[in-house]
This record gives sequence, structure tokens and C-alpha cells, in this order.
Amino acid sequence: MPDYDAIVVGAGNAGSAAAITMASKGLSVLLVDRSDPPGAKNLSGGVLWGNDLAQILPKWQSEAPLERFIQDKKIGFLTDNSSIVIDFKTKIFEENKVGHTVLRSKFDPWLAKKAKEAGATVIPGITVESLATKDGKIVGVVESGDVITASVVILAEGINPRLAIEAGLREPLQDWEVSVGVKEIIKLSPQKIEDRFNLTSTSGMASEYILGNLQELNVGAFFYTNKDSISLGIVAPMEQLRANGVTHTYDIIEQFKEHPSIAPLIEGGTVAEYGAHMIPEGGMDMVPKLYGNGYMIVGDAAGFGFSNGLVLQGMNYAFLSGMLAGETAVEAKAKNDFSDNSLALYRQKLESSYVLKDLKTFKDIRKVTNNKNMYTTYPKMLEGILLEMLWERGQPKKKVRDILGSCAADLKMSKLKTATDFYYIYRRM
Amino acid sequence: MILDIKERLGKTKYDIDKSYAHITVDDRICEKCPHNFCVMACPAQCYTMQDGKLNFQYEDCVECGTCSVACDQGSVKWNYPKAGKGVIYKYG
Repeated sequence: MPDYDAIVVGAGNAGSAAAITMASKGLSVLLVDRSDPPGAKNLSGGVLWGNDLAQILPKWQSEAPLERFIQDKKIGFLTDNSSIVIDFKTKIFEENKVGHTVLRSKFDPWLAKKAKEAGATVIPGITVESLATKDGKIVGVVESGDVITASVVILAEGINPRLAIEAGLREPLQDWEVSVGVKEIIKLSPQKIEDRFNLTSTSGMASEYILGNLQELNVGAFFYTNKDSISLGIVAPMEQLRANGVTHTYDIIEQFKEHPSIAPLIEGGTVAEYGAHMIPEGGMDMVPKLYGNGYMIVGDAAGFGFSNGLVLQGMNYAFLSGMLAGETAVEAKAKNDFSDNSLALYRQKLESSYVLKDLKTFKDIRKVTNNKNMYTTYPKMLEGILLEMLWERGQPKKKVRDILGSCAADLKMSKLKTATDFYYIYRRM
Repeated sequence: MILDIKERLGKTKYDIDKSYAHITVDDRICEKCPHNFCVMACPAQCYTMQDGKLNFQYEDCVECGTCSVACDQGSVKWNYPKAGKGVIYKYG
């Protein structure tokens, strides 16, 4: 008899969601995390939308340590001198309150506690050394030389999945599969945050930008309000960083902070924490075989992340993939069959969920996010158009069509090239 | 508001494992590296060039794993730190 029905490696969103799903159905579950408290290695660079979480923890909104609900969502471009932003503020967000900013060092321990309440054995501060294998099957984990066995091991290691790579369950990560996220927490009083961003004591703002002020790099940036701090950071694709070769990742975030539209927003704040984390960007092409004899891979470790410049997904895919792996384990336990064949159900469940549907729908998105024009030419073009339209300089006004043409010509873009580019971006987004 | 990287890293909490380096590099491989991309990629300035030679320290590492991808020469060996050691984010 194995020691546990299931061992979950990693108590982030995916791992804890899996543990809660299994333990609440009576499986014996061991949830381990290499940090103590759990989550102390994690960074959030996104908004937590709780639709999936609500399925396992219906009272999450009143119980979880959340920062602010997203009332105001902004997306835009920054050029050297300008910011061009769509500010979407809606009563619908206010009434539903499902999107929240979170700080993972507060949120993850709460979620792990919920796993414990559901009946899982939760042990933080355990670094699993390797996976135990027998006859081509994963049979447990090795810790301090001891083997702890389970019918199934759920790998929720995160984006740098050393165990899965070591055991040959996935290839080492390549440049095109990841971005480097660099983040800072800026302390600012709740009063300042609420005045500066026009918020109430519970509402918050989330902004995402394309940085058009970094000539050679396609970099995105984020800026979120917490209760008494700002989370801000940059996301730089590894491919871009390597091709560029002369920019330190730790300098890019400071360039973002210095931008004329960002600097006043953090004026008077103090840096409270600096950190970095990789982000899965390879889409469907980076997803490994998700299951096999005695194991399943969930969350970031499986490459479940996505960004099209408008939506960033990671934490929500983590919840759902963890839950689906948990459900699969429950069904496998009922059949007493944890073979490759039986756990294939996990893949089927993912196929019919939005996780793999999204990754398939947007399989060509990297052609958009890698398009240099998106980060250099088009923000400038947009800036040129707006200056021409909105700046009164005592000159005769032009039609929008003519403005577009002259701005494109200034940036050495032919109308045909621009139109073709727009068409492909439109098709892939 | 703009801070030097060392000053920023100073804001982050660690429990440094003085007896175990969770990342090791092979100096013989690094000597011949054509790009030293790790120096640009590492967000924690663990990799620096000193007198034309790559210098590595693990103490400031925030465990993002970037160097394990950035190094395409087979020099970087990346393991998880021992239980509970390494970076401890207070906010995350």
C-alpha cells in the first residue's frame, strides 16, 4: 500500500486546488512546498478572477486575503513622451467583484490552510529531491533520502519545474517558452492610493501596457493597486532579451518607473520588495505530455499561461488545471487505476475546459507579441495621429485618412505593409 | 525613486544557506562562452563580469530560474535550495 493516495508537489494555486479537490472527496493527500510558509517563492503579476476558485471555495470572496477588487482596468501604450490608454471602468465589475489583486505571500498560505481544513496533510518547508520511479511508473517522491509513496504524484512545481525536467517528463525550457517578469512592491498609504487613482477603500485599478519606449525590446508592463502598496513590473520575452543582448532585466523595470506618466503615480512611495519570476509564454507548443503512469502536471509547470496583450492568464489556469487533475485522481481512485490510460481523463477534461481551448484559439499569438512594430512603430504612429488630431497648432486640419498616411510614411511604413500587419494582428488576437 | 539593483535586493528578505549553493557554474565553460547572456538576463545581478571573467554569487538569487534558460552552454546547474532556505517574499 502506498503511503498516500496522492502527493502534491508545490502549494501554489494549482497544487492547493488539486489537494482541496482530492481531500474533500476523501482521498489521503500529502501537500508539500519547498517554502515555509507556502507561497513565499511566488509572485503575482496578474489579476485573480475567482470563477474557478468559487467552485471549490464558494466563500472565497469573504475569506481570502484579497487586496482590492478591480473596478478599473486600463490597457495602453507608452512612448517616450506619451501614454495612450483605454480606461475601462464599469459598474459591471463593481457589481460582480470577481477580479482581485492579490499578494501571493498572503494568499497562498490561506489556500494551503484550506487544503488542510479539507483533510490534506500539509507540510511546508520540504524540498523534494527527486521523483521515485519503479518499472516506468512514478511511485512517489524522495526527500532527505527517504521515499514517500503515493498512487499518484501531482507536479505543481511552477514555471521552473526541476523535478519534471530531471525525470524526463518535460524538456528543459527554451527561450521562446518563457518571459522574465521583474516586479517591485511600492509602499503607498491607502489614502494616497485612493486619492491618486480615484478609488474607494475596497476598489482597485489594474493596468497593462505595451512599452513603446524601449527601441529594441518587445516588453509589456503592469501596474496594480493593492491595499497599501502598488505592484508594478515588466515582462520581457527571453528571445527578445537574448537578441538585444545589451539590456539588464533589472534596468528595464526602472525605465518603466521613470516614464513621465508612471513616475507621478508612485511619487512618495518606497520600494518594499524586489523580485523576479519566469512566466510561461509558449502556449500550446510548450505543453508537455500532461500525465503518465502515476503522475499529472498542473499549472505553470505544464506551461498553462497566456497573454495576448489584453488578457493575462496564469493563476486562473492554475486553479482549474489543479481542480481537473484532482477530479481525475478521485475517479482513478474509484477505479483503483492510476495508469497512463486512466489518467488520460485529465487531458480530456482540460480539452473541454477553457484552458486548452484558449491555448488552441490563440496558438499564433506569439506572432503578434513578437511583432516589433507592435512595440515600436504602432505606438509612435498612434501618438502621431493623436497629436495631429488633438493638438491645435493654427494649421489646417487633415482628414484621419491623410493623417494615417503621413504618420505611416514618417515611420517608413508603406500603407500596404501596415494594412497587412493590422490584418494579421486582427486575425490572431 | 530609481534605485540601484543592490539597494532594491536589500529590500527583499532571504534566509541564505551558507553551506549550500543551489546553483553552480562551470568556470571552464564560462571562460569560452561567446555571449555571457546570463549577465544581462539575471534580474538579481548574480552574474557579473570582473576583469573579463564571469563572477557568480548565489546569495542574492530570487530563484526565478532565468539563468537556467539563459545559459545555453551547459554551465549552469540549477537545483532548488534546501528546505525553507533562499528568498522569502513577504508580499509576493
